[in-house]
Amino acid sequence: MKQSVQELAALYQNNLFAVAFNVCKNAQDAEDIVQDTFIQYYTTKKEFDSEQHIRAWLIRVAINKAKNVNQTFWKRNKLSLEDYMETLTFETPESENLFETVMCLPEKYRIVIHLFYYEDYSVREIADILKLGESNVKIRLSRGRALLRETLKEEWNDDK
Amino acid sequence: MTNRERYKQAFSALHPSGRLSLEVEEMAHIQKKHKTNMAIAAAIACAVIIGIPGTVYAADIGGIQEKLSMWLYGEKTQVDVTENGGGGYTFTYEHDGETEQVSGGGIIIGEDGTETWMDAGEVAEGMNQHASIEEDEEGRVWVYYYDQKSDITELFDENNLCLISLSHDGKTVYLEITRDEYDSYPFRQSSEPEYDRELYTFVPAD
Repeated sequence: MKQSVQELAALYQNNLFAVAFNVCKNAQDAEDIVQDTFIQYYTTKKEFDSEQHIRAWLIRVAINKAKNVNQTFWKRNKLSLEDYMETLTFETPESENLFETVMCLPEKYRIVIHLFYYEDYSVREIADILKLGESNVKIRLSRGRALLRETLKEEWNDDK
Repeated sequence: MTNRERYKQAFSALHPSGRLSLEVEEMAHIQKKHKTNMAIAAAIACAVIIGIPGTVYAADIGGIQEKLSMWLYGEKTQVDVTENGGGGYTFTYEHDGETEQVSGGGIIIGEDGTETWMDAGEVAEGMNQHASIEEDEEGRVWVYYYDQKSDITELFDENNLCLISLSHDGKTVYLEITRDEYDSYPFRQSSEPEYDRELYTFVPAD
């Protein structure tokens, strides 16, 4: 199956932007990554089994592109994370605190936490998207949660 | 409130600005731009290390726009240059009757550690020194390097790896090209081979 880019953009562009931002921490780069991800989808000859397959593929491509951005030499004059955060509107101070704490986590924990809590993926699905073992994902999730709990204290439940 | 609800509430503050181009024609149009940008990043890194010979011809035609001559698709091509506001430049040119763009920029790090933004000519020359890889609509893979254009489709091995060497003006460069699962072609270019020299297929100029 193949859905149109317009349909997918309506469904997923915020998700792709969030996951790309989660990795590269820069809004301009994240927007370029979203654009590039849809171009990749538009040009790929790959066959997709379902809408969920497309969604997982888009997220994986966006993550890979965001990692590539982090590795390239070329960096634009970047707005710092702090300055960018000042342009965002958070519903509560706790939300802002959580966002800032997540963005301070090491990337390998941050992305697993994001896929679990924002995208509602299971450990097995995250392992599939990131091409990691399930045990590795569990460890990253556990350590990421512990770091969040350590900083956020009562603003983050001790879930398992 | 659960952690999941807290997390979603926090990250719901993130939204793209809405400048995405999602029209199919527009997507096809800018595809080349995005494909090529990855190569530029590497080209600029290379340029920073080796310095920039001044072989790009620039003519200031007033304002922020210049015209330059660059090697694109194996042909000397006239490009319009505009500053893109982030310290980099956008190069606009005609190819196969369509307008295409590439963009890039970089910093030259001096011996004393001072950092200077590259001008348009330096960025263009950095791009000239770097090969580019493109797949055409028939699925053939082409390498472009200065005035060279060669079909390397059959040179990929069973692991989707292709090792080639190219020569220009007496200098040889070595390319390690991979075909990834997204049908794109990330590659590394170096002046010394990463593997044994005999593993590289020399691709002669036509």
